[in-house]
Amino acid sequence: MRLFFTQLKFELLKMFSRKRTYIGFASFLIMEGVILFMCNLPGPQLRFRRMIEQNGYGFDEYFSGYTLAMLMVLWTRILGYLYLALVAGDLVAKEVEEGTMRMLLCRPITRVRVAVLKYLACVIYTYALIGFIAGSALIAGLAYRGFGGLFIMSPGEGVFSLIAREKALGMYVSSIPYLALSMVTISSLGFLFSCCNMKPAAASVVTLSIIFLDFIFSGIPYFESLKGFFIATHLSTWVHLFETYPPWWRMMEDYTYLIGLDVTCLIVGTAIFLQRDLK
Amino acid sequence: MIRLERLSKVFGKRPALHELSLEIPQGQIFGLLGHNGAGKSTTFGMILGQVHPTTGGAFIRGVSVQEHRLRALQGVGAIFETPAFYDYLSGWTNLKIFTSYTRKLAEAEMRETVRFVGLEKRINDPVRVYSHGMRQRLALAQALLPRPELVLLDEPAEGLDPEGIHEMRHLILRLNREHGMTVILSSHLLAEVEQLCDRIAVLNQGRMIFEGKWTDLKADTMRYQIDAEPWEQAAGVIGGRPGCGLAAEKVLTLAAGQDIADVVAALVGAGVKVRAVAPVRQTLEEVYLELVGTPRAAGPG
Repeated sequence: MRLFFTQLKFELLKMFSRKRTYIGFASFLIMEGVILFMCNLPGPQLRFRRMIEQNGYGFDEYFSGYTLAMLMVLWTRILGYLYLALVAGDLVAKEVEEGTMRMLLCRPITRVRVAVLKYLACVIYTYALIGFIAGSALIAGLAYRGFGGLFIMSPGEGVFSLIAREKALGMYVSSIPYLALSMVTISSLGFLFSCCNMKPAAASVVTLSIIFLDFIFSGIPYFESLKGFFIATHLSTWVHLFETYPPWWRMMEDYTYLIGLDVTCLIVGTAIFLQRDLK
Repeated sequence: MIRLERLSKVFGKRPALHELSLEIPQGQIFGLLGHNGAGKSTTFGMILGQVHPTTGGAFIRGVSVQEHRLRALQGVGAIFETPAFYDYLSGWTNLKIFTSYTRKLAEAEMRETVRFVGLEKRINDPVRVYSHGMRQRLALAQALLPRPELVLLDEPAEGLDPEGIHEMRHLILRLNREHGMTVILSSHLLAEVEQLCDRIAVLNQGRMIFEGKWTDLKADTMRYQIDAEPWEQAAGVIGGRPGCGLAAEKVLTLAAGQDIADVVAALVGAGVKVRAVAPVRQTLEEVYLELVGTPRAAGPG
């Protein structure tokens, strides 16, 4: 078991030692900066003021660092999908392409173990990335607007909430692991295609294509009755945490769907990897 | 040490290897020869469990690689034609990563191996700044950690300069002689194979066409350079003798069991003046090319 954790440590070392990781993290910081800047332009600010004040709340209290942080998290998610698809698409495919997988599989280790190690490293990486996005957004938001209440609006999920200052930080922090859990599904899809006999870039493109097609179809009114089958429907379930009475049963259903999909991707990906000839 | 039993592989519709059966005893240096696409790398892949055979199986110390890969690969090291590493990490970290998939090793054992391959001064540099020779040494170091009983070397001298080739040859010989390792080697550098290998197998289009000591092959057809006058008459005498033939102008081939002295006596008896007879030392390259049926390039003059 100790060796397993050593191997996991090295898998993480490989992921976090790449320059690309930090370029990616920097791109999230830049995007957060752009969102922060745009939210504070007179036009968008006026819109926020109207939405908050029309509901009988004070703009200065609720247009706070927490609100800005949440806006940054909500909007950088799209970049997160792209980035995680790229990272997860590389997981196995890149090592096969570069030849390090062959070197590694000269060792007395099962392919199942290699696949599980890579998948776990990617899950940890996903949590680290979301933690970084949420943490940096919070620091930037608080530095810019200070403490206050948390205002969150997500029309797609029908969420419109104003959370008092004393509960805001707790709600913000507790929502992040749920968001990360949703994002693991993107990583899982990337992992699945990375195990197939294709180039790393192709694995990322296929993953992204599936995600974006899913988003497009889930938004078409004619497919309303099929909504439960789309990934996008379940991916945003974490936002319901901010409702006064979170629909726990529905959230559990959504996460069961997502975790089921994650496990399926892991099993199918590993099975494909097991069958492949590495030459 | 290694037993291959009717190992076959078909990729899609393309057969890559056809019923290869081999037995390689412990302590030998065994050469696997063949043109590109002959099936050498496929064979290595199947010995390491990286390529699934269509039929047949590979056994290391009697353990099936296909059924008990983990047990079979204990004590096996390998390097490939173009060794791949995590370029953005140091040589040392790369070694730690690869060895962690076998077992945790003592740092002293790793340092000793790094010294053995002569990489101690550059081991902490990132692999991306390594020359090809240094990468090959690092590949050899990872193959030797932890100390294996069997090493598979796929084109270990590929792309090395003459000094690098010389050093690699000596390292392989030391591994075999001092540490008793069994080495299976594939190489296009036939002069290297000639100097290193106890036995060879030659693959041609996925089929094994020879297995044994390459000198056995050579013994079947001894060659002699002969200077005789008049040549036309000499050629007639040579052509008329069983087991005798002409490979080229003034190059005589003699089947096993035939004596050159008898040929010379026959020539002299026929009135041919024999000025000089010298055995032509056949290289592995010549034997190999003859075996796979590739016409030899004409020499100068």
